[in-house]
Amino acid sequence: MRKMNFVTLSMMLFFLLFIGSWYFVIVAENASLSELFTEKNASHAAEFFKGLIGVGEDNNAFLSKTSWKQALGLTRETLQMSMMAIGFSTIVMFLTVIPAARNVADGTLTLSQKWHSWLSYGLIRASYVVSRAIPELVWAMIVIFIFKPGILPGAIALALHNFGILGKLCAEAIEDSDSRPVRNLAAAGASKTQILLYGVLPAVLPQFLTYILYRWEVIMRTTIVVGMVGAGGLGQQFKLNMSFFHYTEVSLLLVCYLILVFIADFISERSRSFVK
Amino acid sequence: MMNFELHKRKILTFILLLAFVWSLLPVDWDKGLLHAGGLAMAGQIFEAALHPDFSPDMIMLALESAWITLAYATAGMSLALVLAFFLGLLASGILAPGNKSRRWLKRIFRGVLSFMRAIHELVWALIFVASFGLTPYAAIFALAIPYGGMLGRIFAEMLEDVPAEPIQALKMTGASAWQCIFYGYLPIVRAGIISYSMYRFECSVRSSAIMSFIGLGGLGYQIQLSLDDLAYSQMWTFLFFLILLVVIIDGWSTLLRRRLGS
Amino acid sequence: MAQETMIELNRISKHYGRKIALSSLSFVINKGEHVAVIGPSGAGKTSMLNILASMLPADDGEILVDGKPLDSYCDRKSRAQKIGMVRQQFDLVPQLAVIHNVLAGRLSDWSLWKSVLSLLIPQDKGRAIEALDRVGLSDKVFERTSSLSGGEQQRVALARLLVQDPEIILADEPVASLDPARAEDILKMLTRIAAEENQTLVASLHSVDYALKYFSRVIALKDGKLFFDRPVSEVSDTLLAELYSLEGNSQK
Repeated sequence: MRKMNFVTLSMMLFFLLFIGSWYFVIVAENASLSELFTEKNASHAAEFFKGLIGVGEDNNAFLSKTSWKQALGLTRETLQMSMMAIGFSTIVMFLTVIPAARNVADGTLTLSQKWHSWLSYGLIRASYVVSRAIPELVWAMIVIFIFKPGILPGAIALALHNFGILGKLCAEAIEDSDSRPVRNLAAAGASKTQILLYGVLPAVLPQFLTYILYRWEVIMRTTIVVGMVGAGGLGQQFKLNMSFFHYTEVSLLLVCYLILVFIADFISERSRSFVK
Repeated sequence: MMNFELHKRKILTFILLLAFVWSLLPVDWDKGLLHAGGLAMAGQIFEAALHPDFSPDMIMLALESAWITLAYATAGMSLALVLAFFLGLLASGILAPGNKSRRWLKRIFRGVLSFMRAIHELVWALIFVASFGLTPYAAIFALAIPYGGMLGRIFAEMLEDVPAEPIQALKMTGASAWQCIFYGYLPIVRAGIISYSMYRFECSVRSSAIMSFIGLGGLGYQIQLSLDDLAYSQMWTFLFFLILLVVIIDGWSTLLRRRLGS
Repeated sequence: MAQETMIELNRISKHYGRKIALSSLSFVINKGEHVAVIGPSGAGKTSMLNILASMLPADDGEILVDGKPLDSYCDRKSRAQKIGMVRQQFDLVPQLAVIHNVLAGRLSDWSLWKSVLSLLIPQDKGRAIEALDRVGLSDKVFERTSSLSGGEQQRVALARLLVQDPEIILADEPVASLDPARAEDILKMLTRIAAEENQTLVASLHSVDYALKYFSRVIALKDGKLFFDRPVSEVSDTLLAELYSLEGNSQK
């Protein structure tokens, strides 16, 4: 009965939040929906969409060889940025994931408990939370201050956000893993490292691979965003063209971006079913 | 058989490693990666995390921005749910009368859903702002479209996984297609939908925070302003509020999912 | 005694790919009869009931229900008034409260608006409670269906059938997943309700004992063909032994 109550309470809370939010948007922010659909806005929007498909533009980017060349170059750069990002986050994840699993920290998995394992568990988990809670874009804004422009700061910003997510998912995979083989290994006199290498990793690696591919998909979709603050790739050019009203260039870049995202979806899905 | 399986994984891992190495090539590693003084700057930024600006004015501003972020996220999410309900219903194909029309319905609406979620919310936001100006609706619609796409796909998959027996039994009692939806499909997928939406709600708060990048208020806007002023300790105040907001919602959704799951 | 014909099967055939489920099956069932359909698994019992319920199209042959072809009951309302069905307990929506599962029997009469409203404020509540009372579940009206035991869930399905009130009840292995005591309980209730409401009952059963105990007539199927069709009093042990012998199956 208590179980149902919490669910009902949450629903009511969400409902209150819902009312409050729309009240805030409509009344406090004074944003009227009808104003959106005025004639002025409609002509504005029509203009914009006409621009996107290149009606009345003097130099249509779809017909320009240099534009295509630039767009394809940026597409390759973006692809590399996404791969670098998932590579970096995977490396950081692998370095931190083992102490971040609860069953490693409390010793059920390694059968050895030390006082500092709880400390490292707490620290790593806290870093995961911070990493996860701060969006890629904000990370990018900070990283841009430190690194020279290019795809590297973009990749680092993406990695900073994703290692937390990847770490959390993978640590949970270790927590859910079966502890019986580990006990057998321990009974056979294996050391702590041997237990991890032979007992734990083989069982969780396939799961890790799935998560890595899934996150790569998401990163692909986000590359355009970190680019917008100057971290290279399609996004940077997208933002520039948007502010110069080069709308056909914008739609050319959007097409490239969409193709990238769909290819990433396809590859990730295929390789996940390939190793299943 | 087992050996082959192992090899498949090794091959894939090897390919992924190669891809990673290829991605490192364009970076000019020798010429220095950091700005002159970049390290000192990093030091300043992260040192500021230790003493964020918690003056009352700042706290008030941060609270207000956090509310804006949360309000946009909630409004966007509620629209996303409506979109996901109708599009997911269509994409699941349960409303289609025959097999052939079902295939077409599924194909078309799955395409629509994946298009909606392929484009990042910030890109949608830029498009909306360009077409009807800087209004909160630009942010709300920009959130609603990709999140509607994500939720809609999961919703469609859940509907397809509903066991056939109860639905057939409902049809035998003379229920129409829509009655089957209200008496069969919806009650069966309800818990799953709530869980997944709560999980996505957390993500939407983060997305809502970055909407401000294009000039709509909220935590992200304040973060950007303080970064422009090089006021790092103020930036950390807003960052901590963002982290707090995300952690609270994450905790809420985890609790709720645990209750619903067991 | 002049008897009204309720169901008439005329040379019904059905096959899945090359496997024959029913071959040229014909029989007649009168109004108010209680018929058990028995036979080894794979004999075509479920196919036959699904065809009768028009959930499955027959490849060949015709079916008359109450003198009219089965296809003529194409709108959901007239079909629901004519034919109702119970199967194993997976028939209910486990997440709904008991009363909504029972009231699902009224859906053919209700508009969409009324049926959605009923999920909030149960409509025709008296009728549902009366039905639940008759199956002995009047104390569980508002419980979640998934919290009920298997036998109780099957009683909810019977209550739904009471609310739907069709002229023909098709029961496909209604007690397959229940223990013997519960199974007898459900069968007793099912046959009693059918008798009280003057309904025609056709039930497929895996157990011959139940068929002999609760029904008046037995139709035996083997390899999709009619093996025998006779009153319970004329079913002999030798016939049954032949029905369940493995010989006939070996040629497949």
